[in-house]
Amino acid sequence: MYYKIGVDVGGTNTDAVLVSHGNNILAKTKQSTTLDVSSGIETAIKKVLLDANIPKEEIKYIMLGTTHCTNALVERKELNKIGAIRIGLPASSAIPPMIDFPEDLKKLLGNHVYMVHGGYEFDGRLISPLNEKEVKDCLLKMSGEIESLAITGIFSKTLPDQELQVAIWAKEVLGAAVKVSCSHQVGGLGLLERENAAILNAALQGVALKMVKAFKETVHRLELSSQLFIGQNDGTLMSLEQAQDFPVLTISSGPTNSIRGAGALSQVDSGIVIDVGGTTSDGGVLVNFFPRESTQAAQIGGVLTNFRMPDVVTIGIGGGTIVRFKEDKCQLGPDSVGYLLKEKGVSFGGFTLTLSDFFLANDQLQIENILEKNNLKERIQIISGRNFQNALDLVKEQIQLSIEKLVDKLKTDPKEIPVIACGGGAFLLPKKIAGASRVLFPEHLEVANAFGACIAQISSEDEKIVNTLQNDEKKELEKLLSNVKIELLKKGASEDSINVLTKESIPLAYLPGAIKLKVKLCGDLIS
Amino acid sequence: MRKISTKDIEYIAMGSTVLGTGGGGDPYIGKLLAKEAIHKYGDVSLIAAKELKDDALVVSIAAFGAPMILVEKLFSGEEFKRAFDMMEAYLGKKIEAIIPAEAGGLNGVIPFAVAARKKVPLVDADGMGRAFPRLEMTTFTLHGIPVSPITQADEKGNKNVYHTIDNTWGETLVGATTIQMGGSCAIGCYPMSGAQVKKAAVHGIVTYAETLGKAIIDAKAKNQNPIDSLIEKAAAIKLFTGKISNVTLKTEGRWNKGVCEISGLEKNIDSQMTLDFQNEFLMAKKDGKPVAITPDLIVLIDAENAQPITAETIQYGTRVVVLAMKADAQWRTSEGVKLGGPEKFGYKEKYVPVEELNKNNKDVL
Repeated sequence: MYYKIGVDVGGTNTDAVLVSHGNNILAKTKQSTTLDVSSGIETAIKKVLLDANIPKEEIKYIMLGTTHCTNALVERKELNKIGAIRIGLPASSAIPPMIDFPEDLKKLLGNHVYMVHGGYEFDGRLISPLNEKEVKDCLLKMSGEIESLAITGIFSKTLPDQELQVAIWAKEVLGAAVKVSCSHQVGGLGLLERENAAILNAALQGVALKMVKAFKETVHRLELSSQLFIGQNDGTLMSLEQAQDFPVLTISSGPTNSIRGAGALSQVDSGIVIDVGGTTSDGGVLVNFFPRESTQAAQIGGVLTNFRMPDVVTIGIGGGTIVRFKEDKCQLGPDSVGYLLKEKGVSFGGFTLTLSDFFLANDQLQIENILEKNNLKERIQIISGRNFQNALDLVKEQIQLSIEKLVDKLKTDPKEIPVIACGGGAFLLPKKIAGASRVLFPEHLEVANAFGACIAQISSEDEKIVNTLQNDEKKELEKLLSNVKIELLKKGASEDSINVLTKESIPLAYLPGAIKLKVKLCGDLIS
Repeated sequence: MRKISTKDIEYIAMGSTVLGTGGGGDPYIGKLLAKEAIHKYGDVSLIAAKELKDDALVVSIAAFGAPMILVEKLFSGEEFKRAFDMMEAYLGKKIEAIIPAEAGGLNGVIPFAVAARKKVPLVDADGMGRAFPRLEMTTFTLHGIPVSPITQADEKGNKNVYHTIDNTWGETLVGATTIQMGGSCAIGCYPMSGAQVKKAAVHGIVTYAETLGKAIIDAKAKNQNPIDSLIEKAAAIKLFTGKISNVTLKTEGRWNKGVCEISGLEKNIDSQMTLDFQNEFLMAKKDGKPVAITPDLIVLIDAENAQPITAETIQYGTRVVVLAMKADAQWRTSEGVKLGGPEKFGYKEKYVPVEELNKNNKDVL
């Protein structure tokens, strides 16, 4: 028998759950996210340990889902000083690295950008060999001025050796302390997008180091000896070492966790998940217990990447959404008081009318230390300029309209499918939604994201292009599959739990014989 | 004559995606290439064909290759210069202007990069008025203009000149060597005189692409309906509103082939549409009956953001609007239909102009 703790750090709340190895929730909590983040995590973990009353040594795994890296990028804060080397001359020079970055980010990151000879053709022939002197001259120019280096080679997804060689030279010239970020480890085919991902990854390695250190220290302070994991954007886990090396992969893990968590809580394998938070509602689609991925290229901090992110549609409806009345209509948001609900909300003595205030006054939501109910209704009547029931009806009607529009947007066909509510603001959702076969409010829905982190598996993936005129397609696919499997076992998966998520070979247009192979496996942690 | 700046390229690239009718390669890479070149070498002069001297040498410069390669092994820019220089050296004559071969997709914007670098004007015309999957499918071919000599160059410095017995062989031979060059290259082709351009090209197509791009981008900026704005500017027929319900994709020979199924919404709630594509959209059928057939243009637009969708990126569940636009009159002649019509792509259906197919449908006009 062993136990796991899942923690989700959001902009407003830090949630934690303690579950048995069979994934039954034994304790849960919602704490405010703190400025230093780690004290919030500490409080949350302490609380679930206390409530569940489980000996510390029986907590085998702790999984953390966090927005650290997303925030650092969006706010352009604490980013590493980086250099970027692209291997591929004479090809590719017309479109230099960072060409389409937002100007402010280019200014911040773009001081040491170089292109050198090298790279491969799609079929493995050299475009040109690496030139040691040329590479080292570039590295010398960066000496003392960078903390991380992004290395990107043409067709490195098929042949990564040039990227790895440059990484070795980088350590030689810049010292062992410099971090490297090789593109073949962070992105897929498509040079510019993969290079962008490698550059963002390099920029985030400092933030990641701090995050990992804080997480380790917190757990240490709590005298826990559990194995630690961080959630990544495809709904699977990585070790702290991996998170330190590949922080960009943690971006957008939040929505993935809530979609998977809500599915598991309601024991529904396919449907629509709506996660209602303080500021927004995020709708996603669950297909066979995994989020439907977007085929649109994902923009991170204004930069184009080729990550497969969950397909999420966001609308401005959350617990803190500001409500305004104009003549016979009410307008919801799109602005919100966010985490200032307890200062600004009418229920707490403030002057801003929020969605939460209506549901508190109507007894559909309970929070301690708020205004007395009749007093609250009266204040709502004064601010809204109308009778409480009438105002509430208008608000609910507006929510109904917005949510039905959201559901319709997410659906692929007219067939009715289940809608699963989750998140701290789930009380806002109507019990009946047009287009939904039923609306589910599973137990523990408010901590679906932390639960999602807890049930996450580990995964491994790779893709490459092979020339089937020279190589046997089947053998190449088996080879890729076995490499990915070895990688997955190394990460700590138990062999008998390994599942094939993706195994595809796609012929390429205009290239007779060339095929793109892609493999993705997942598995459970060894128990 | 007028100057084209990097800002205009944004509009033209968006319009090129519309004219790409689902194919032609995503203009994103072409746009970056053109913007970077203009930034480095200065604005490009766009001229009308009538501004050309009759004996001026005009050449098409184009990117040639597999879409997958174009996004991984990016262009160096040198290959285009080489294809250009080689043509001048081979013919012993200065090139006075560049003409895009294909205004739809990637090759709608790439010629701007060469024009900026070589400081020659670009002609506001092309040889397709849209995108097509093969080099010989041009109005130039319809007027008997040979594609040869073709100059071909890669980023490494390899070069080739072709003399082919007809324009179809041009596609075949250049296609074969392109693979050996690593899947992409630059070509110079259809060398012709100013007089030939005046007769054989689809005129005003660059400005038209710009107009279409502007219709979408500016309407979005002003919070107006970009699709209505596009329909008005393109004189397009709105064929269908719906949601993508299925996509099948396979690669046959060198082409992406497939069918995209759309379930109707709003006025089309009881209907289904299928779009066949071979790189480009070729045939739109509503409840089994053709409503638009190549060479007329079939354009798939994302109803949420008014972004034209390429066949490779069709996503299950997207809300879409399907538009049809009349092909240039040269494609609607019997020779034009033979070269770019349904039979060329293996269909039994005969070509019927899109306005004929939809004349009894009050909803669409």
